[in-house]
Amino acid sequence: MKIEAIKGQLEEAFNKADKIAGKNQNLPVLSGFYLDARDNLLIVKATNLDLGISVSIPVKVIEPGIVVVPAHIISSFVSSLVSDRNITLQTKNQVLDIKTKTTKTSINTLPSEEFPIIPEIGNDGAFSMPARDFVFGIRSVIYAAAVGSIKPELSSISITHEGEFLVFAATDSFRLAEKKIKIKKAPHFKQILVPQKNALEIVKIFDRGDEEVSISIEEHQMALRSNGVYITSRIIDGNFPDYRQIIPKESKTTAVTLKQDLIASLKTSLIFSDSMNQLILRLVPKEKKFEIESKNSTVGESIQSLEAVLEGEDISINVNHRYFTDCFQSVMTDSLSLSFSGQAKPIVIRGVGDQSFLYLVMPMNQA
Amino acid sequence: MTDYKQLWQKVLIEMELGISSANFTTWFKDTRIVKEEGGVVVLSVPNAFVKEWLLTKYHNTILRSLRNLESSVHAIEYVVNKEETRRREERPGRETNTRELPLPEVEVNKDDNLNPRYTFESFVIGPFNELAHAAAQAVIKKPGIMYNPLFIYGSTGHGKTHLIQAIGNHIKATSPGKKVYYMTSEQFGQDCMNALQHQKMNVFKEKYRKYDVLIVDDIQFFSDKQKFQEELFHLFNTLYDNNRQIIFSSDKHPHFITGLEDRLKSRLSAGMIVDIPPPDKESRIAIIAAKSVQQGVALSPEIIDYLAHSINGNIRELEGAVNSLLCQFELKGKEISMTDVRNYIKNNIKPKRIVAVKDVVRIISDFYNIKEESIYEKTRHKEVIRPRQIIMYILREDFNISYPSIGQKLGGRDHTTVIHSCEKIKNDIKLDQTLVDEVGQIRNLITV
Repeated sequence: MKIEAIKGQLEEAFNKADKIAGKNQNLPVLSGFYLDARDNLLIVKATNLDLGISVSIPVKVIEPGIVVVPAHIISSFVSSLVSDRNITLQTKNQVLDIKTKTTKTSINTLPSEEFPIIPEIGNDGAFSMPARDFVFGIRSVIYAAAVGSIKPELSSISITHEGEFLVFAATDSFRLAEKKIKIKKAPHFKQILVPQKNALEIVKIFDRGDEEVSISIEEHQMALRSNGVYITSRIIDGNFPDYRQIIPKESKTTAVTLKQDLIASLKTSLIFSDSMNQLILRLVPKEKKFEIESKNSTVGESIQSLEAVLEGEDISINVNHRYFTDCFQSVMTDSLSLSFSGQAKPIVIRGVGDQSFLYLVMPMNQA
Repeated sequence: MTDYKQLWQKVLIEMELGISSANFTTWFKDTRIVKEEGGVVVLSVPNAFVKEWLLTKYHNTILRSLRNLESSVHAIEYVVNKEETRRREERPGRETNTRELPLPEVEVNKDDNLNPRYTFESFVIGPFNELAHAAAQAVIKKPGIMYNPLFIYGSTGHGKTHLIQAIGNHIKATSPGKKVYYMTSEQFGQDCMNALQHQKMNVFKEKYRKYDVLIVDDIQFFSDKQKFQEELFHLFNTLYDNNRQIIFSSDKHPHFITGLEDRLKSRLSAGMIVDIPPPDKESRIAIIAAKSVQQGVALSPEIIDYLAHSINGNIRELEGAVNSLLCQFELKGKEISMTDVRNYIKNNIKPKRIVAVKDVVRIISDFYNIKEESIYEKTRHKEVIRPRQIIMYILREDFNISYPSIGQKLGGRDHTTVIHSCEKIKNDIKLDQTLVDEVGQIRNLITV
């Protein structure tokens, strides 16, 4: 193999693929990039046997060929080049020589015939949407997904569609986030469950994308395509809980407050919260009182008062600081509403005037 | 070849000797044989990567060593296995103090669509459904060979869905390698529509053709839907030719489903057709007793007897009655008395059928696919005469309406015409089995 490539393009392709290349696995070839040069394209492939990626970039192919090189080494190396623009890659025996104007480097290769095949999923009838929207949907809910895989369906992101919206949802059974993203055309799938771990990588790879991403589904596997990037991920075979039933229909107490004020108060409260991250929210609508209290027997305690529009019954409820605050990143409006429907019932958080995002969080057990 | 595990162990040993241990652990971990049928071994693998890799790199080696051990093997199929929910007692240590969202547990299995609640253990057998039950048992013993297709029909609430789902659940439990799938006709139609819209017909076809046991509920909804019928027809042929078991349910005998193409009708009738008639009183008693035991309360024999007597036909109604009685019992916290039951029956069970002549005419003309008005008209077309006679017969026999008033209501006919018609059908019924079936069907329709 012998090719000439432009540093910027090569670096970007390597950066994308590097996120997926396996680390510390017993098959060393998995920690490599599979470089395939032909038809004036360089295809960079990487996989951890859960996700697979293939990125094509235009290069000048002098001699077609295939080589596998350690991913981390070559991507760090290419990133470290500062002044050079053109890079020549050439294989010689078991070594890949990389030449630029100022450097001469050789990297030991890995046996290319052992590199796994990345499953190819047909693109017929694929569904497409702007990558930015897709990433936004996942970002808005992913923190609520369970980490680890005791229940695979809870450690994944559910994507369904409802009318003109694509609905992203995730829950770890303590809280639940749902985000609706407007789409132009209904997708061909009913529901897919993308493993949280894989969704995280997909989001990183498409993060800056303005382009369209097209999604195709096959049994157990999904594929995303966009601008020369092909990613395939396992999808979970299971049922996402039908969470619609547990969204409280009515609330007994509601509070509307500015997001920034709430975040600031919570920041102060966190200093005094105990090992359980416990906060006490106290709402007394008649006295227009909204207090957040945190206590830590070794440090001290603090009460924050907050300006808010309150309605309904008095309530005092304990919540986990982290679960409670996680969702604020996804509330896009300046003010947000908290609805309580009593002790031991989920608290509903929404942006005021924004029906696209919904967050449910369960209170803590009160001693 | 009975012990798949042992067989696969032997293959694994051979493979391990042949390749590096890194390769071996990467590609052969979590693989196993799920079934073997007609020389085709089905291998379960953890993900699509492994599937691709085994298929391209090791397929021949695996096949060769399988063949050395078992000469009948001639092909291998790879399937990606389902990720099992790993049971772990304790939750992750952190933040255990937060309550959990009351997320509903998922009941229906997505893979096969079967509801695990429907089993043979919970199926009450009585004289009315023992034939259907026996047919189901025969199917279980030799799926695809005995009674293919199995067609079960009966009115709503007679236990069709329970029975066909129980067959699916049983086959699934006893032969884990078999792919069972349950669907309603509505789902099939939806799927077909989606596939058409997105030009994914080949995927759609593939999807259904891989099943070993396919269960289609409420097939009567296919009437007048040409495209779906066509798809079902082709699907049927493929499955049938490959000796896959197909099970249908409907509210009518296939011949009486209007708007169904003849080629489909004849195929539906090719295997075994069984009817589940309304439960007789003994069966109703058994059902009520079983339901109340399931709910954890024993009702007294008098109450059971009274319920069985007052509620006719529909098992779903029986179930509803038992449930609401038990609910009352829980609320009040005292024994259910006979008076409670009487009150309940009085308020909740609709009086035995009161049927308007017009309804009977509508049902029967629908059944024969003729215009309702033509019954009242003076036409003497052959297609109309027979149904008109049957209407008269049924009005007389089942509803005890007087001859003159039947005549008057059906377009001002003479009472002697009515008498003649009733006599004619009465006589014909003795000779003509089709007529018996038809009248039986119609009676079913009217009672619903």
